[in-house]
Amino acid sequence: MARDKEKRSCGQVVAEWRAFLWDPRTRQFLGRTGSSWGLILLFYLVFYGFLAGLFALTMWVMLQSVDPHVPKYQDRLLTPGLMIRPCAEGLDVTFNVTQSHTWEQHVRALHQFLEPYNDSVQAARNAACPAGRYNEQPDDAVPNYPKRACRFERSRLGPCAGLGPHGDYGYGSGRPCVLVKVNRVINFFPGKNKSINIVCAAKGHSATTHEEDAALLGPLNLFPPNGTIDLMYFPYYGKRVHVNYTQPVVAVQFSNATANVDHHVECRLNAAGLRTDDERDKFAGRVAFRLRINRE
Amino acid sequence: MVKKRSDVYSVEIYGTKDLHKTEIEDEEEKHKEQKGNKKKKKAEDLKKELDLDDHRLSPSELEMKYGTSIDKGLSSARAAEILARDGPNALTPPKATPEIVKFLKQMIGGFSILLWIGAGFSWISFGIQLAQGVDSAFDNLYLGVVLALVVILTGIFAYYQEAKSTNIMASFSKMIPQQAVVLRDAEKKELPADQLVVGDIVEIKGGDRIPADIRLIFTQGCKVDNSSLTGESEPQSRSCDFTHENPLETRNIAFYSTTCVEGTATGIVINTGDRTIIGRIASLASGVGNEKTPIAIEIEHFVYLVAGVAISIGVLFFIISVSMHYKILDSIIFLIGIIVANVPEGLLATVTVSLSLTAKRMAKKNCLVKNLEAVETLGSTSIICSDKTGTLTQNRMTVAHLWFDNQIYSADTSEDQTTQPFDQSSPSWTALSKIVTLCNRAEFRPGQENLPIMKRVVAGDASETALLKFSEVILGDVMSIRAQNKKVAEIPFNSTNKFQLSIHETDDPQDKRFLLVMKGAPERILERCSTIMINGKEEPLDSEKAEAFQTAYMELGGMGERVLGFCHLYLPEKEFPETFQFDTDSMNFPSSNLCFVGLLSMIDPPRSTVPDAVSKCRSAGIKVIMVTGDHPITAKAIAKSVGIISATSETVEDIAKRLNIPVEQVNRREATAAVVNGMELKDMSSEQLDAILREHSEIVFARTSPQQKLIIVEGCQRQGAVVAVTGDGVNDSPALKKADIGIAMGIAGSDAAKNAADMVLLDDNFASIVTGVEEGRLIFDNLKKTIAYTLTKNIAELCPFLIYIIASIPMPIGTITILFIDLGTDIIPSVALAYEKAESDIMNRRPRNKRRDRLVNQQLAVYSYLQIGIMQSVGAFVTYFTVYAEQGFLPSTLLGVRVNWESNGINDFEDSYGQQWTHYQRMYLQWTGYTAFFVSITIQQVADLIIRKTRRNSIFRQGLFRNKVIWVGIFSQIGIALILTYGLGHVTALNFTPLRFQYWFVAVPFAILIWVYDEIRKLLIRRHPGSWWDKNMYY
Repeated sequence: MARDKEKRSCGQVVAEWRAFLWDPRTRQFLGRTGSSWGLILLFYLVFYGFLAGLFALTMWVMLQSVDPHVPKYQDRLLTPGLMIRPCAEGLDVTFNVTQSHTWEQHVRALHQFLEPYNDSVQAARNAACPAGRYNEQPDDAVPNYPKRACRFERSRLGPCAGLGPHGDYGYGSGRPCVLVKVNRVINFFPGKNKSINIVCAAKGHSATTHEEDAALLGPLNLFPPNGTIDLMYFPYYGKRVHVNYTQPVVAVQFSNATANVDHHVECRLNAAGLRTDDERDKFAGRVAFRLRINRE
Repeated sequence: MVKKRSDVYSVEIYGTKDLHKTEIEDEEEKHKEQKGNKKKKKAEDLKKELDLDDHRLSPSELEMKYGTSIDKGLSSARAAEILARDGPNALTPPKATPEIVKFLKQMIGGFSILLWIGAGFSWISFGIQLAQGVDSAFDNLYLGVVLALVVILTGIFAYYQEAKSTNIMASFSKMIPQQAVVLRDAEKKELPADQLVVGDIVEIKGGDRIPADIRLIFTQGCKVDNSSLTGESEPQSRSCDFTHENPLETRNIAFYSTTCVEGTATGIVINTGDRTIIGRIASLASGVGNEKTPIAIEIEHFVYLVAGVAISIGVLFFIISVSMHYKILDSIIFLIGIIVANVPEGLLATVTVSLSLTAKRMAKKNCLVKNLEAVETLGSTSIICSDKTGTLTQNRMTVAHLWFDNQIYSADTSEDQTTQPFDQSSPSWTALSKIVTLCNRAEFRPGQENLPIMKRVVAGDASETALLKFSEVILGDVMSIRAQNKKVAEIPFNSTNKFQLSIHETDDPQDKRFLLVMKGAPERILERCSTIMINGKEEPLDSEKAEAFQTAYMELGGMGERVLGFCHLYLPEKEFPETFQFDTDSMNFPSSNLCFVGLLSMIDPPRSTVPDAVSKCRSAGIKVIMVTGDHPITAKAIAKSVGIISATSETVEDIAKRLNIPVEQVNRREATAAVVNGMELKDMSSEQLDAILREHSEIVFARTSPQQKLIIVEGCQRQGAVVAVTGDGVNDSPALKKADIGIAMGIAGSDAAKNAADMVLLDDNFASIVTGVEEGRLIFDNLKKTIAYTLTKNIAELCPFLIYIIASIPMPIGTITILFIDLGTDIIPSVALAYEKAESDIMNRRPRNKRRDRLVNQQLAVYSYLQIGIMQSVGAFVTYFTVYAEQGFLPSTLLGVRVNWESNGINDFEDSYGQQWTHYQRMYLQWTGYTAFFVSITIQQVADLIIRKTRRNSIFRQGLFRNKVIWVGIFSQIGIALILTYGLGHVTALNFTPLRFQYWFVAVPFAILIWVYDEIRKLLIRRHPGSWWDKNMYY
């Protein structure tokens, strides 16, 4: 089965391509005449117009079926994630006490984050709710009636509230505060009616190192006390109806952490019926971060 | 003188070219062949070596030359010495490509390069990310490994497939080791033929294959069949005499691999192994390189096309993403995704499987395909150059006509005759049948009583065999008739007498006369007759009766049949009493004034399936050219009877005869048929040959040597035709190689022909070629469908990447997921399309035009990519957006989120409802999106599979359920998707999640739309043939 290869010179190939690009004899551009191009483009205009319309239509139908207040499925959010503020790159809170520019950004981020928690704002917008129980606001007659949020005053964070002239959240004095917050999840009732709190500790790899690490890390002060999160902040009703909702936070102050050492800290949400040991999701009900306070 | 002679010899072997080229052309040739210097040199060597003079030497000179003794043979020690020097007496098999090279070729051929590039990029980005300490770095490592695995596995698969098809052939060509009777140490020994050395004295008897080139020193009625070497179909007699200067012509040399038909001979081995004439031809033929098959060219074209699309889109989006300020590394990762999405990883394997399925189907129909790709080549064939003997005909002489009582009777020539229908009541027939039965030396080999008469093996030449079988069919047990009519004397046929005579006792005990029966060339027989039998009565042979004889003789001869005359004489009892001693040398009995009884004419009749097959070829636009060594009249008769020359068409000579004008005055264009004699062909320039091939649609080449076949093939190829050539002899092998598809005969074919061929016809039947053509055309259509099916989803795999890059939405589909579509769900359905039946009669179409009718044409690519592919993408995106929306991310939220979405550090990513998501929660959702996208593509591929069943007809006309394998494909597709989604949904590395069941149905409306749209497309194509729509939408 032999076939002599058709050998064409380079020039011929170029000429062929040029003829393909623009053939003056047949007035063809890329193998089609102008009218042919017009027709084919018109066809695709109609075709894609139709498809786009169809896409729009099906998307519209789909969106009509979606409840704008509560997502249809929440099965991925059974365990809310935990997150810290300041939220530095790679959850790494590192600063130098004496060089203010290393921590000013953290302070700024915290200021910004706590802005809506200002007592005045809270007093103006939100209600004082009875503590210790869920703030359920069932829709009686009107569906998706706007819900009131419960107050979480900034001042409850004590030294970590960042109030006052030296509102540096302890960064300037080497006693930094880190805020821990629980991700918002609609209609989430944590703790099975029992109180819940945030627990933080040094994260050691074994029992012995754990103790050493805890010693190096020093005492932790939690605000509100014991890191308690009041049940009145639950449930969350979604951003449409729960407009002024301010999610509860817990501040952790490292009052005497050893300087110039990497500290690995892990905070967990301690609530009944909540698993915080998901192997794959390292942020499900817990958060781990690195703290390093540098001093000269 | 010697030099010149050697040139002549070279013509026989090498020289089809040299022979027909003028000096000027030779010059050109030199320019052309400067590259082929090596080949040329080889040819020169051949010419020199062929200058062998052993045929001129006397036996004693030969003894001296080879240090042997005719009485004692070589000593074992000497033989071992020579064997060590010359090597075994066997042809070196053609140099095979080393297995590892074949394997590596599979590894880098086709799309593999692109995938290797993808894998390389993956590893590079893995390295960089690892250095940067990115957590997800290992994903890229795995991706690279997976891509490499894909390449290696598909490579191994392709290699395995190829090896399998080669093995079929290897086993086919394996032969039972041949034995030879050799005189060594003054003893006769039986040795394996490959142990023979130069100087050995060997003995040959009828039926043996000649074990080496042999100079004969003693012969007894020895005849050899040289057809595999020289193409002469008649057995050649061999003697010890030096009869011709040319070693190929002289009678005292027998050539390796030819067969001894009858008689015995003894000779000295003069050449062994590759140094034999056959060996040299074989080594020359193996020098003709195999080039690409049409389907290989098509697939290459397709690979280029897809690779071109992949690379240009990849590079385009690399540039776009870089200019959109993506990191270079990210851009590279996008590039990998685009490549993987664009490359149909499973397709080449699918094509191989489809081809081998067809090959299997063809093998069942007696076409054994050596080279998988040849399956399709046969389908694009536009000219078949067919041998006559054995391929178009039954390859056995059969009595076709009888003439007695002044009347022509025709006999049944079909393959499985059991009776003869002509009128057998005349007493002349009784007399004639007696002559036919008695004046015949042929005998059935014993032990075949249970076989049908036509299948029995006979010892004797072709005509006698025909007569024996003929009389056996009509009269029954011939041997007992012969026993009752004891033969008392016999003169066998020889070429000077041109008759055969025997004298028998009669089976009538009352009748003591002897019966003399004689058969031979009709004119010779008539010369010896004075009376003629009419209706059982002897009548004087007057000029009127002689005229009738002449007319009958001419008529039978004009049908291309071999005519024999029969006569007899009852010897008078007085002169020849019972005790009379007949002496055949002194001829003491009359051999003239006999009584003429009748004529029988024989022909090698066409196979009964051939006329049908030829007319099929005709409607399929395939030109059938007969190439035969036979006489033009016979060739033309057979051509007419099988339809190669149709009943109404005339040759130039016919027209001349009809109009009664000289041949030169006939308008050549009026003659549709042509019978070209080999001698004319010899003197023809290639332009003249081209003109003949162009101007006549029905051509027969008669009296051609096998070498001229090559010229004919080249001529056909100059017309741009895809040429299939049949052949059986050794020197057909260059033509078989040169042809686009060489077809060797499985029964009559020599090993050399089988080696050179791309296909072997197991039953030597021309009709099998036509079924092969049908299969080949079908597979071309079906491959088109397969490719269209496979290409479609590439767009649905590619669009996610493009939109991901441009709109920065979360990744809709993962690279690994794409591989699961390409190599998982889509494989069985695309193979299933190979089982699709033809839409319409594919044998009513013209053959595929190599240049215009591509496997993958613009329409196919555009329709698959820009229409169905886009529809699939839309459907898949709707599913994707639905999944995200129902989990809390409305489409508006998804736009532009890519960086934060993928950030490891952001674990409070807000959705449309104000909820916050950790990174892993988002990733899981992303995998759910992958799964949903995957499921949508799968669902829509089901619709795609159904619409691809036809290209023009409505699916309902084709039948939804006729091809069961399609349904196997659909169920496998959905089954695999179910397993991946629910079975392996918990294996994170595969990025599948157990998808909510309703998402399987989101894309269903789009699947239905695809089906409806394609039905509309087909409807418009059928309604408006030739319209703009037809031109742009029919692939």
